[in-house]
Amino acid sequence: MTQSSDVLGEVVGMLVEVVGEDFLLDTEIGPDTTFNDELALESIEFVALAEKLQDRYGGRVDFAAFIAGLGLDEIMNMTVGDLVRHIEARLQPAAV
Amino acid sequence: MPEVTARGVRFHVQTMEPSGTGFPDPPVVVFVHGLVLDNLSSFYYTLAGPVAAAGARAVLYDLRGHGRSERTATGYGAADAVADLFALLDGLGHSGRVFLVANSFGGVVALNAALARPDRVAGLVLVEAYGPAEQAGEWTEDMLNTLGKSALALEYERLADQLLEIGWRQRGRQAATADALINGTSLLDDLAAVEPVRPADLAAVACPVLAVYGEHSDVAEAGRLLLRSVPDCTLHVMAGHAHTVLREGTAELLEVVLPWLSHHTGTKVPVAAAGGAL
Repeated sequence: MTQSSDVLGEVVGMLVEVVGEDFLLDTEIGPDTTFNDELALESIEFVALAEKLQDRYGGRVDFAAFIAGLGLDEIMNMTVGDLVRHIEARLQPAAV
Repeated sequence: MPEVTARGVRFHVQTMEPSGTGFPDPPVVVFVHGLVLDNLSSFYYTLAGPVAAAGARAVLYDLRGHGRSERTATGYGAADAVADLFALLDGLGHSGRVFLVANSFGGVVALNAALARPDRVAGLVLVEAYGPAEQAGEWTEDMLNTLGKSALALEYERLADQLLEIGWRQRGRQAATADALINGTSLLDDLAAVEPVRPADLAAVACPVLAVYGEHSDVAEAGRLLLRSVPDCTLHVMAGHAHTVLREGTAELLEVVLPWLSHHTGTKVPVAAAGGAL
């Protein structure tokens, strides 16, 4: 399994926990899935997601700073893939 | 989910620690949101991150019955909200003085908190705050009319179910939340009983206050009353804005709030506060 699918799989798992499986039965979550249009994520649910991400990836991915740099509209218009790419970029060892 | 049980009620709390090091004892800034459909996310995505980045510990919580906090049947008046706030801060171990940043109805909570416990409140940032008024009924009338009409629609038109049936999950769930709060708790009765903060009380506010209102806001008079009555008050009017300055005027709001907080708490002032890229 590649690192990419690991992060994607983990983010999808967190989304299922936050949103609830009942609603997601008809939704296949992939990199192109949008938080707003397809998942209909509420802003308070994104807070819960961010918290799970922070618990999982901790200091390596500073979500408070990430979110502070974006507007709510930008956040909600992101795709799952956008978020996964941000996490992966932060998880790469720093170039020396 | 981080939770604190205070006064027997379960509250959802999020804390953003100051970024970087060099803040052994950072100032605590507590964010108090508005009514019914509002929750801590309105500050989470706007002011809280930049305030934490400037060197403060940002504490956000969902008011009783809101967001992911417990919905109790009663206890939605100002006195309970103030008691909830301090009990919650005690639970978090923040027994010192804090700064309160409030939006809309959160202003009622923040102002009453500053008057009730001047020893615990170091300063107030009031964004589009309700609360200050010359007479009882003046400030609550419009709000209660709007909420009352919503209550009828939610109850008799089964608005939440209808929205969910057509697949509008966000609006459907928001309507369900509003229905549960407005028709299922004492919220409306409790709000109707909230007294305004009159000029004589405003004159007794001991801490510095920054008031920010939209030029076209229905609540703008409250800002002018604050400026006239509170001994240490700065009023900033945002041109072109109405009540939604927090969401729609975030960058300008930060340009005003961050330097004010810096002046009173010693936090950093970003070189370019505007633009959100802090």
